[in-house]
Amino acid sequence: MQVEHKRGKFVQADSTTLLSNEEIKIPFLRKMRPYIILSPAFLLTIGILIPFGMAIYYSFTNFSFKYAVYNWIGLENYISMFKDPEFWHSVKVTIMYAGLATVIETVLGVIIALLLNRESVIAKSLRIVLIFPLVIAPVIATLIWQLMTNNSVGILSKWLRMVGVDNFTWGADPKTALFTVLVIDAWVFTPFVILLVLAGLRSLPKAPFESAMIDGGSAWFTFKNLTLPMIMPMLLIAVLFRLMASLQMFDIIFALTRGGPGNTLMTLPLTAYTEAFTYKELGYSLPYMLILWAFVYLISHYMVKYWSHTQKKASGK
Amino acid sequence: MKSNKVVSLLKDLGLLLYAMFALFPLVWLVIISFKHDREMFNTTFIFSPTLDNYRVLFSSGEFIGYFVDNLIVSVGAIILSIVVGVPAAYALARFDFKGKESIAFTFLSFRFAPEILVVLPIFLIYQKIGLYDTYFGLIWIFQVVSLPLMIWILRGYFEDISVEMEHAARLDGYSWWQVFIKMIIPLIKPGLVASSLLSFIFVWNNFTFSLLLAGQKVTTTTVAMLKYVSSDTVHYGQMAAAVLISSLPIIILALAIQKHLVRGLSMGAVKG
Amino acid sequence: MLLRKFLAIIISLVVGIVFSACSNSTQSSGSSVEKTELKKLDGFDWKRFKGEEINVMLNQHPYAEAIIKRLPEFEKLTGIKVKYSVTPEESYFDKLTTALNAKNGNPDVFMTGSYQLWEYAPAGYIQELDPFVNDKNRTSSDYDINDFFEGVLNADKWDLVPGHKVGTGNLWAIPLGFEINVLHYNKRAFEQAGIKNPPKTFDELIEIATKLNGWNGEGSYGIAIRGTRSWATIHPGYMTSFSNHGAKDFEIENGKLVSKLNSSKSVEITKKFVELIKKAGPKDWSNYTWYQVSSDLGAGKAAMAYDADNFSFYNNKEGASKEAGNLAVAPPPATKDGDVGSNMWVWSIAMNKSSQKKDAAWLFMQYFTSKEHMIWGATQANVVDPVRKSVWENQGFKERISKIEGYEETFKSIIDNSTIKFTPQPEFFNTTTEWAAALQDIVNGADAQERLNQLANDINKRVERLRVK
Repeated sequence: MQVEHKRGKFVQADSTTLLSNEEIKIPFLRKMRPYIILSPAFLLTIGILIPFGMAIYYSFTNFSFKYAVYNWIGLENYISMFKDPEFWHSVKVTIMYAGLATVIETVLGVIIALLLNRESVIAKSLRIVLIFPLVIAPVIATLIWQLMTNNSVGILSKWLRMVGVDNFTWGADPKTALFTVLVIDAWVFTPFVILLVLAGLRSLPKAPFESAMIDGGSAWFTFKNLTLPMIMPMLLIAVLFRLMASLQMFDIIFALTRGGPGNTLMTLPLTAYTEAFTYKELGYSLPYMLILWAFVYLISHYMVKYWSHTQKKASGK
Repeated sequence: MKSNKVVSLLKDLGLLLYAMFALFPLVWLVIISFKHDREMFNTTFIFSPTLDNYRVLFSSGEFIGYFVDNLIVSVGAIILSIVVGVPAAYALARFDFKGKESIAFTFLSFRFAPEILVVLPIFLIYQKIGLYDTYFGLIWIFQVVSLPLMIWILRGYFEDISVEMEHAARLDGYSWWQVFIKMIIPLIKPGLVASSLLSFIFVWNNFTFSLLLAGQKVTTTTVAMLKYVSSDTVHYGQMAAAVLISSLPIIILALAIQKHLVRGLSMGAVKG
Repeated sequence: MLLRKFLAIIISLVVGIVFSACSNSTQSSGSSVEKTELKKLDGFDWKRFKGEEINVMLNQHPYAEAIIKRLPEFEKLTGIKVKYSVTPEESYFDKLTTALNAKNGNPDVFMTGSYQLWEYAPAGYIQELDPFVNDKNRTSSDYDINDFFEGVLNADKWDLVPGHKVGTGNLWAIPLGFEINVLHYNKRAFEQAGIKNPPKTFDELIEIATKLNGWNGEGSYGIAIRGTRSWATIHPGYMTSFSNHGAKDFEIENGKLVSKLNSSKSVEITKKFVELIKKAGPKDWSNYTWYQVSSDLGAGKAAMAYDADNFSFYNNKEGASKEAGNLAVAPPPATKDGDVGSNMWVWSIAMNKSSQKKDAAWLFMQYFTSKEHMIWGATQANVVDPVRKSVWENQGFKERISKIEGYEETFKSIIDNSTIKFTPQPEFFNTTTEWAAALQDIVNGADAQERLNQLANDINKRVERLRVK
């Protein structure tokens, strides 16, 4: 309570200024200052809006790498997409994949971060080592896992056979394909959640926890009522980044099964990629990506709102 | 007290279990990087180790070239991100102005743009304006990966720095720039270091952009790694060696700044 | 409110781009037989275009390695400077397509598969080569285009009419090397099981392959076959048996391209193939690309493989694999009487239509498909199978392949019946990828007839969208 304005903005008569006495002299420049400071960053990233615009335009055409000419065809691509049963299958798989990956990684990440946030020798020595998988590119990680899970030469299959499991074929079986890509996704990205949550945990003030200990609250009680709300902003950022990334996950699924077996893992990004690159039909593929992007945009919008809310709560306002 | 010890032991056990999951594939990677291709498919741990894979990697100088290319674009992207991202984060934290939240969110939303969606139009544009297969072309597009994360983490930092401190320094006669460089930058350093490292990881490992927007003059290691899947056989050994070597900078960086890393990502680091 | 603002920005951008994009979207599409008028030259001369610089895009492959090794000789002979890039196959065509689409003359020359020509040629990306090959002032007198195997050269010809066979119309590329599909077997495995001769019929193959499951201990199995959800699963063994069985992928009915994948012949052979996979294929078959097939064969995990003939060539080299020296090849097993042939995969080089240096580019293509380079490639490098008949008569090459039992005999017995067995049409990659997905479903228990009906239906809808007649 010593510092009032810790997270606050300037609460002054004219809030655009840092020092109000200067404001009187050059009001316009002062007013524009935040925009001027922001403009380099904005100019750099605005480049990405142009491709967005082009993508939207092409989604109304039959633009294809296979033909020299293309025409404006209105909503046709969208209509045929919504009519296609495979599209709804894709939506289902995409949501399932993203939801499960995010939940698994968040829960596992929080548990491991809590376990790491102790002073035991093992916790201390593993703290940095455990984030190593994050430095391996997902494509490469998948190749490693593929080599390990290959039925005839893979070490994991060999171990499974040793304990009597003979028919587990990982990504090759429609029943276990989703499980396999989730394992790889969790392997690569759980460390991301661990890292952020651990950072949140380390920054917690000690006092409330000590008093909770004295009051004799159970570990679960402390976690639910003290730890969790306080690390919530950090946790939400981790969840946000993971959810958005796994909705668009392409590398792992493509490298492992190309969306197979059958159509088991044809998520929206996989469908769009196959349509655009393998079949060279850019026009048909774009609605898949645009719909995904709109979805991602909406979700992240609400999550960020919720995030600001929890952040205020966490800092006691 | 006894039960506490048991619990602690169980917790360590849980950690070790996860560590096995997380680290075994890496151990496996190290092992196969020392294996001959023809021994690759024997799942035993017994084999005669060889340095051949590493030798092949460095014999031609090609791989070193990819490595340097990757370093240039990644470091370039991070520096550029810092130069434009720090002021942007500062502005978003310090000032209240019209459309602030929208602008902040727009930055973030770039991070969530599907790469496959933007890469084709960007390819066409790059071809037209001559940025295809250039260092700057890649550096620019990597902003999309690194800048949003940086702005968002740093914004939290700036918000944590008390305004009064800045006030006091200004009243002592320091100019705004002096205050910024001498006082604010050191305070956000942990966050800067941590978010730079995270961004660096994402940029360093990026595949889609470096594959489709470069490849002749500028080739990054992730793209080059696929070269070990050649057409007569897959050189898993060489690939493993290449993966390990190209992960080395990040691992070294992570170890060197491990204290900063965790502390740096916690936005409340400056809280008493 | 935030959304609305963002949308406003995007809409204004779109409008801007629509206008700029519309202005350059009108270009004429190609007619079925093309002719490019070239400027007249006086006499053939390797040195004529010295000082020019050409860009070449190569796929990472032994054929490309052979080219790169001999680039200095080419540059010395012609004085042309060559800049090249090598891209791994996994991503090569993604890159090539985007580069060709830019139509800025880069690359001048590129490696391509024949199936890709069916997309690139109708799109107008490729220069037809007839005016170069047929011009004595552009092509050296000792080039001898008739030295190429007919079935191989035909793979690169097509008249751009979907449904018309290969071998019609313009020549779009020059073959560099090719693969036909044969039965590979491990002699050690056969001896051990007391099998005297490689199987001649498909039923025998199923029987022997099933018997060989577990022949070399844990994890070993009968026969390696590709199985990923990719067009590459269809073209080797499966398409070879499919066409040998007399099944067709398409037929033209009332001027329309109609899929025949649900015909009784197609269902028969598909069921047989699926039976083989289920009984003796790898358990995780649907993960198998060419390299798992090749390495399982080399590592002694698979007793047989049904795939490109050069797998045994590469794996049999001393020290290249564990089973080096034990591998032999035999013709594809038959499902009915009559001659056996094979479907073909051909790597070729082609020229970018928008290239500004077509004559220099042609010298490059000519040099690296000449007799001299082909013999060098087949004896000193790994350019197998060679596309020129004369190379197969070369002593050095004969000696080299004599180390693989049955290689030459198998090749000679099926080459005359081998060419590309697919029907050329621009939706090839869609058709075959969906086909592979259907095959995966059938292996995983779907009813063959039902699934192939659905597949044929999907493909028919797809080819209706073709925009070339």
